[in-house]
Amino acid sequence: MSASDLSMASPFNRQAVVETLREEASVWLFVVKTLVAFFLTGWIAMRFALPAPSTAMLTTIIVANRQSGMVLAKSFYRAIGTLAGAAAAITIVASFPQQRDLFLLALSLWIGLCAGGATLYRNFKSYAFVLGGYTAAIVAVPVIDNPPGVFDSSWARISEVLLGLAVSGVVNDVIFPSRMRDVLRRAAREQFSHFVAFVRDSTRGNVARETMENAHLRFVRAAVTFEDLRSSVIFEDAEARARSGHLRLFNQRFMAASTSFQSLHHLINRLKRAHRDLAADTLVRLYAPVGTALDAPIEAGAVARVLLPRLVAAREMMRKQTPSLRDSLTDAQDVRDFDTGASLLARFADELHAYVDAAASLQTPRVIAASGERVRFDRGNDFLGAGIATLRATLTMLGLGTFWIYSAWPLGSSAMLLATVFAGLFATIPNPTRVTWMVMLGYLSGMAAGFVCEFFVLTQVDGYPLLVIGIAPFLAVGLVMMMSPRLASYGLGWAMGLAYILALKNVQVYDPAHFINDAIAQVVGLGAAAVSFVVIPPAIGSAWLRRRQLVRLRGQVALAAEAPLPGLRHRFESVNHDLVSQVVAQTEPGSADSRALVAWALAVHETGRALIELRHDMARADLPLTLRPYLTDALHTLARFYEKPAPAGYLLARDAVATAIASVGEHEDARHLLDHLHLVRMALLDGESVLAAYMPDAPLAKEIIHAS
Amino acid sequence: MPREIALGDALVPGLLVLFVLALLLLWALDWVAGRFGLYRLVWHPPLFRLAVFVCVFGACALFLL
Repeated sequence: MSASDLSMASPFNRQAVVETLREEASVWLFVVKTLVAFFLTGWIAMRFALPAPSTAMLTTIIVANRQSGMVLAKSFYRAIGTLAGAAAAITIVASFPQQRDLFLLALSLWIGLCAGGATLYRNFKSYAFVLGGYTAAIVAVPVIDNPPGVFDSSWARISEVLLGLAVSGVVNDVIFPSRMRDVLRRAAREQFSHFVAFVRDSTRGNVARETMENAHLRFVRAAVTFEDLRSSVIFEDAEARARSGHLRLFNQRFMAASTSFQSLHHLINRLKRAHRDLAADTLVRLYAPVGTALDAPIEAGAVARVLLPRLVAAREMMRKQTPSLRDSLTDAQDVRDFDTGASLLARFADELHAYVDAAASLQTPRVIAASGERVRFDRGNDFLGAGIATLRATLTMLGLGTFWIYSAWPLGSSAMLLATVFAGLFATIPNPTRVTWMVMLGYLSGMAAGFVCEFFVLTQVDGYPLLVIGIAPFLAVGLVMMMSPRLASYGLGWAMGLAYILALKNVQVYDPAHFINDAIAQVVGLGAAAVSFVVIPPAIGSAWLRRRQLVRLRGQVALAAEAPLPGLRHRFESVNHDLVSQVVAQTEPGSADSRALVAWALAVHETGRALIELRHDMARADLPLTLRPYLTDALHTLARFYEKPAPAGYLLARDAVATAIASVGEHEDARHLLDHLHLVRMALLDGESVLAAYMPDAPLAKEIIHAS
Repeated sequence: MPREIALGDALVPGLLVLFVLALLLLWALDWVAGRFGLYRLVWHPPLFRLAVFVCVFGACALFLL
């Protein structure tokens, strides 16, 4: 190797080494922070003489995360869940103090309901539900022989959990915090610059369908990730919380603008495919000012504000150019298509301006008074899937409880608790069977390590500092594994198993027989949870649920056509995005399922938005009475067709839209409705879209545009 | 204020109730500070927040004496 090769290679190597060290440092920082929180909690709990310091210590492991904001968010929901669970436990015990069958039934039902509720949410709110369920079990089951003790038991549990949460919250927030606020800021900036760059680059009008689909997927993911980040960051950063409404508005406007943008491009693509180049090119020319307006350096900090006046100018210019460009067209078809495109373009320009405006107000250093517009991110939930989760958790509990009663197993409560915890914790993830087995393996090894630690190390030491030194190496192994993506669940099982089985308290009991019996009970509980996932397979990730989600997605058109108008735009967009991202997360990219989904999502998005705009315009102007039946008929048939796609429904919908177009055409003062109707019509006739499967025969190229 | 607070004739550790109250108070102060950007004037906001909490909790705990 020559000298020049070496000098070429060394900077690269150094960079690699630095990168590796940085990654390693963040792993070890996590380990150290978690250990500090773990042992500090234990020390305080022992000083306060709480009955079970190990619960408080286990809490710090459960909420451990590399990001401070995640720890705080999870802590917040864990606190809520614990309080609700303790309240439920007191109610259940007070209702059935002497009826063990009814007691177990009520407890199982409560746990099942909580597990079901958890599947309805995709952030830490689901965790609060899970906790509400198993906290009730943890509080109520140990006092089953002594009902009056439930109150003390619940206060002890609440104190321990809150202590663990407080300590890990403080440790993670104060010692070298790793801020999610920066991640959110980066996400917002990337979302903005990607979208602006994409719009700018596609000004030429030539965007292949595939690029559009990929971009759509990326935008959907960006919107949902952004919402998830926002819901965690507000716990970490007071300023982010003050801006929370703005962040939502920013995201909603992003979704609206990206939908209009892709509608516009599908329109241009369709025109091109039908060889109506003149209309397409005129539209592209009309749209050029937006591209030049966005052509500013995006890296600078205050860029969004710089773009605003340029966008206003571009909008003015478009408005001025519209009549002259329209006059340059002679063919009636061309003029009509141009009108449709121009109104779509005007809508897009307005939404883009609103989006950039929201971005600019986010970039100002001062918090501006909260905007008057309250926006929510609605989720697309499946209640049947939640029902299945409810059923599974309830049955697991009932099965174990029956076994416990009939076998009179002294440690049955231990098994029951563990089964509750894991059946709840893993009900919300796509592949719970595999994860539960991994955690179980980790749990087993953690307990084996716990055996070595308790009987060979802890018996030799005296005092808290030595206890820390004795346990830390065993725990650190699990924590390091938690940070590697492949071994994460194994490591979690290890750390939890170790912390749980050690059961540290002020006067530690060394009883190998009890230790082993308890270990067996806990493994049985874990196994019961794993088996329950096999017996009643989870809905999440199954083809059945995916089909239901697809039906739900198509139903969004019916929502757009028939739901009450106020707030409908945001509702439509956010539920759409949530549904699409759920299915995207559960399918492999590029698979048939995933492609079908994206194709449907595009059609639903485009038609739904056009219908909403149409209904807004219908509500604004007073229509001639003769016209209204045709329009509502078109809306209803479209809704029915999307709910149950079939060739017959397709023909009905197509004809209804054609009739509506014809009748609107007769009324001079209702012209503005035509643009939306044409958009719907063209989406219906698009031979490349997913609707092509329902067309009687492939339409001629000319027919796509000669709609009516 | 007694060491233990009676909630519906059940005795609850007073410190725990105060802890929750202090958390709520801190949350309100935090909201005000975030709304008016007061954390910009502070070197290490989390440490500052912790210190405020200690002050609030300590002041509340004086009621127990």
